Amino acid sequence: MTAPGEEQAVNSGFVRSYVITGGRGLPDAEELSLVTLVTIAPERQPPPNPSPEVRAIWDLCSGGYLSVAEVAGHLGQPVGVARLLLNDLAEQGHLMRRKAPPPAQLVDRKILEEVLHGLHVRFG
Amino acid sequence: MALEVSLMTFAQGPLLWALVVVALVAVGAVLRARRTNIGLRRQNAELHQQRDVLQRQRDELHVAYAGLTHQHSAELAEVRKDAEEETKAVLKAAVRTLQGLADEQQVVIENAQRKYGDDPGILADLMAIDHANSQFGRRAQGIAVLCGGWLGRRETVASVFDVARSAQGRIRQFDRVRVNGQVNFSVVSRAVEPVAVVLAELLANATNYSAPGAPVEINIQAVPTGVCLIVDDAGLGMGQEEKDRAAALLAPQAAISVSSLGIPPQFGFAVSGLLAARYGFKVSVDSVSPYGGVRAVVLLPDELLTGDVPSPPPVAAEHHDADVAALPRRQAPAPSPTPLFPPVAQSAAAPQPIGPATTSGGLPKRRRKSPVSVVPSTEPGPVRSNEETASRLGAFQRGTRSGRDTTTMEGPEFQ
Repeated sequence: MTAPGEEQAVNSGFVRSYVITGGRGLPDAEELSLVTLVTIAPERQPPPNPSPEVRAIWDLCSGGYLSVAEVAGHLGQPVGVARLLLNDLAEQGHLMRRKAPPPAQLVDRKILEEVLHGLHVRFG
Repeated sequence: MALEVSLMTFAQGPLLWALVVVALVAVGAVLRARRTNIGLRRQNAELHQQRDVLQRQRDELHVAYAGLTHQHSAELAEVRKDAEEETKAVLKAAVRTLQGLADEQQVVIENAQRKYGDDPGILADLMAIDHANSQFGRRAQGIAVLCGGWLGRRETVASVFDVARSAQGRIRQFDRVRVNGQVNFSVVSRAVEPVAVVLAELLANATNYSAPGAPVEINIQAVPTGVCLIVDDAGLGMGQEEKDRAAALLAPQAAISVSSLGIPPQFGFAVSGLLAARYGFKVSVDSVSPYGGVRAVVLLPDELLTGDVPSPPPVAAEHHDADVAALPRRQAPAPSPTPLFPPVAQSAAAPQPIGPATTSGGLPKRRRKSPVSVVPSTEPGPVRSNEETASRLGAFQRGTRSGRDTTTMEGPEFQ
């Protein structure tokens, strides 16, 4: 029998992502894109017996708006998994969403050059 | 005279001679018979003697035979044991490679899941691969245990709930399993894998021997001597013979022979028994579940439990960075003028808030953002060298350029 010291370390994650989703189908990215900002609606109580992930989301998002990508990053889970859990919370009415800010208008190159020039003059 | 004559006549008569001959013959026969008799007696005695000798020899041979049989069976057992051990050693070494590869593959799959997690289709496929790989890993671990090998060591403790969920992920029909009840205990790191593997084997039995679609429950309960993980199925239950076999395997008296497990091998109980004995917890399957099926109970004693909260996965921070690094490509077009004139103090504080508040899980908590002002701060910025300024401005220029590029490509997605 091998001595305990010879035992190899196991590095893979412990709880599989499909267990966290319960094997359910994953939602589309439409409602909750990577940059959609989410937060827990004020004055809400967490659902009874939340899973550790739902509890973590609750803790993370109670403090203010966080993007879906950031929630996934903090959970250490793929974005799709975080999206499914957020989707559940949204369906239960716990979640407030804010669409990503619209993309910037194309700024005129001339203006940028002027800004650059101005900065050069000021700091350079 | 007449008598004499008659005697003469008699003597000369054929009858007399016949009598004489008969008498002689009889005497001869008697003599010969006696001789024969003596000879036979002698022969008989000799044969008796021979028989005794032979019987003695036979007894000796019997003894020798018994001795040889005994020796033979002892040697045979030894050879079998050697062969079994050699087989196990070879299997163990081979399976160890498989275990390593399964673990490695799991890590690769996890990274791919994080990388392509935004696409539901790809993520679903990756999860299917992950699921198959987890089952493969469990099988390899089972064979390793039967061959006297090890499961692999986890570095951190895991909550009992997570151990149950990890076990759930290692069986085919994981979606039939419900985990109920949470306790504020964690399993010590060295017992995390063994308990998960044993629970997975019990869940595999529970799902395989009950109707497809029937739920299987894991109930977690704190008891005075530790924590119980109770697996209930709604199957047909086990007969007495099966229960006896299970009880024998769950409390192994000696090493279990790999060849005794049948084809296809049923090693769930054997693996459970070996691991329970090795790590000091109890497994029993002798009760009936409330649904009429089998109730399997894993009792984790206090020695294998700890009140420590599992530390957050070390990958989380790392991958958070990766996610953030990957984001600008998609986020770049996003817009707001915010990045153009960020107040210096805020830009320094934004990624890592000073004195970050953490959640109960140890994760950093983001504060509600203060309204962003486009007016440059009146406070003087930090003094920078010319090179630094130049490189920052260069980066800014590159940023606006790449921002414009991606806007034209990905813009519509955000409209």
